[in-house]
Amino acid sequence: MTAHARYDAATRALIASGDWQAEAASALPDMAGQPVQVLDGAGLTRLDTNGAWLLLAAARPDAGDPMPELRGFAPAHRAVVELVAQHCTATARQPDPPREGLRSLTGRGAVAMGRHLAGLLDFVGHLTVESLALIGRPGQWRWRELAAQVRDIFVGAIPIVVGMLFLLGVVFAYLLGDQARQYGANIFVVDGILMAILREISPVIVAILVAGRTGAAITAQLGAMKVTEEIDAIATLGLSPLAVLVIPRMLALLIAMPLLVFIGDVAGILGGMLVAQEQLDISSHMFLDRMADVLLLKTLLVGLFKAPVFAIFIALIACRMGLAVTRDSRSVGANTTSTVVQSLVAIIILNAIFAVAFVQLNI
Amino acid sequence: MTDTVLDIRDVHTTLGGNSIHRGLDLTVRRGEVIALIGGSGTGKSVLLREIIGLLRPQSGRIELFGQSVWEASPAQMNALRRRFGVLFQDGALFSSLNVEDNVATPLFEHTTLPHGICRQLARLKLGLANLPADVAKKKPSELSGGMRKRVALARALALDPELLFLDEPTSGLDPISARAFDTLIRLLADSLGLTVFLVTHDLDTLFSIIDRVIVLSNGRVLGSGSVAELKQLDDPWLTAYFAARAEEASPHGN
Repeated sequence: MTAHARYDAATRALIASGDWQAEAASALPDMAGQPVQVLDGAGLTRLDTNGAWLLLAAARPDAGDPMPELRGFAPAHRAVVELVAQHCTATARQPDPPREGLRSLTGRGAVAMGRHLAGLLDFVGHLTVESLALIGRPGQWRWRELAAQVRDIFVGAIPIVVGMLFLLGVVFAYLLGDQARQYGANIFVVDGILMAILREISPVIVAILVAGRTGAAITAQLGAMKVTEEIDAIATLGLSPLAVLVIPRMLALLIAMPLLVFIGDVAGILGGMLVAQEQLDISSHMFLDRMADVLLLKTLLVGLFKAPVFAIFIALIACRMGLAVTRDSRSVGANTTSTVVQSLVAIIILNAIFAVAFVQLNI
Repeated sequence: MTDTVLDIRDVHTTLGGNSIHRGLDLTVRRGEVIALIGGSGTGKSVLLREIIGLLRPQSGRIELFGQSVWEASPAQMNALRRRFGVLFQDGALFSSLNVEDNVATPLFEHTTLPHGICRQLARLKLGLANLPADVAKKKPSELSGGMRKRVALARALALDPELLFLDEPTSGLDPISARAFDTLIRLLADSLGLTVFLVTHDLDTLFSIIDRVIVLSNGRVLGSGSVAELKQLDDPWLTAYFAARAEEASPHGN
């Protein structure tokens, strides 16, 4: 039976009938603030707590008002109304907390940023102590874990690294070749490709890929372990979570990143070689001869040197954010996002520092 | 109105090669407070998941309010879902929402009420679950285990269901909170006319608030009745189960 309610002005009664549940709200008459002294429930066929609350709220808009007289209610319905009436004070509308102003938001953000950096420093300190302690005890190194991590981080990333660097090599050679051809400087395209791919593109792109692929995975994995108290269990067994979880991941990244950068170098040069042959008529023989003439070992080494530095920062950020997860699922997501953002910012800043420093040092 | 709320006929379940249920039958009538017990791995929680439509049994028929759960259309299933509430074992509160919005979520989704009213109704449910008014704006992670269970109960009650499923409602609670939770469930069942179906290991719950106990064993219902009736059954697991309580209570001649 559908819900009905009408207001009887003569007796100041709110008369309800039918099934009173949450949907019955639309059946409430517009009473325009007229007082209700009697609540008549003789015609009710069903009444649940949502319906009872809606009727009570209509009869006395303020929970402090006197209770209306209940008339004609079946005993079970009367019991529900009385139960609900006991809890009505808690349901009063609460004002929303005031919105924070720009100043307090800025302050809060600055304090959070300071805490975060202090936490990172603290983490680096603990990690250093733990690593130094482990150096003297090779028996406690987690070889199996390390091997598994290297496999995940290195082997799993090879296809995407090869694909992306090959295409970037193609694009770069094509654009460079288009310019160089106008001056008849076709052969110098080889110099440009080698310099750009080995020194900048390969290390930075590989670092960005690893930050998005592995950094995010590390944070999510450690974060989930934190939520399920696995990390507490490791600590309780007398093992150090840093030694068991963090150091193997960090070493694995240190091993995998230079290897990936080298693979990226090769893929990028192959991409450039393909375009040089098709667009600029530089055969692969000429390309390789030119490469042997102009490629300095230091160009290759500069790129490979950047890789472990990026790796350390990615590993530090990812592990620290993973262990900083609080015990709710939302924080896993928030920290994973934060890992990727922080890693990308760190990679770009470090790369800028390297670029300036190497030029100043005439490398 | 039909008198039978839940009717299970000849349910067979196989999970990962293990036969869990082998022709299980049971019936729950309106207004009963039922406990489902059984040793670990007898498929109590699996049965609960099958009843609420999360896991499909291999064969058999499960009817809620006369409607077969596994033959219902999505619309019919949604209508059914409004008529029962579920309290999951660990509460399963949404960690990104505050307590009030957690409880109001079923109202947001299933009714056309304005959100302000939904939140007021949510606070009414929190009151019914015996929670103080100041928890409404807190996050689930700020609450104790017992409070989280109460919030989950309030959420299960949000739409005023006729039938309430509770999965181990008192597990992980201290004995005092557990007894208070039992009392609360019984009080709500009596005052709101709820039918309650709970899965439990807690003997104190059985002795205090349950109308009828159903025992699962070997994939079937071993017996059903009051605690006193079940004690007459000759089953090694059941004997050991009740003996655990008898030992601890014997000095008082229970």
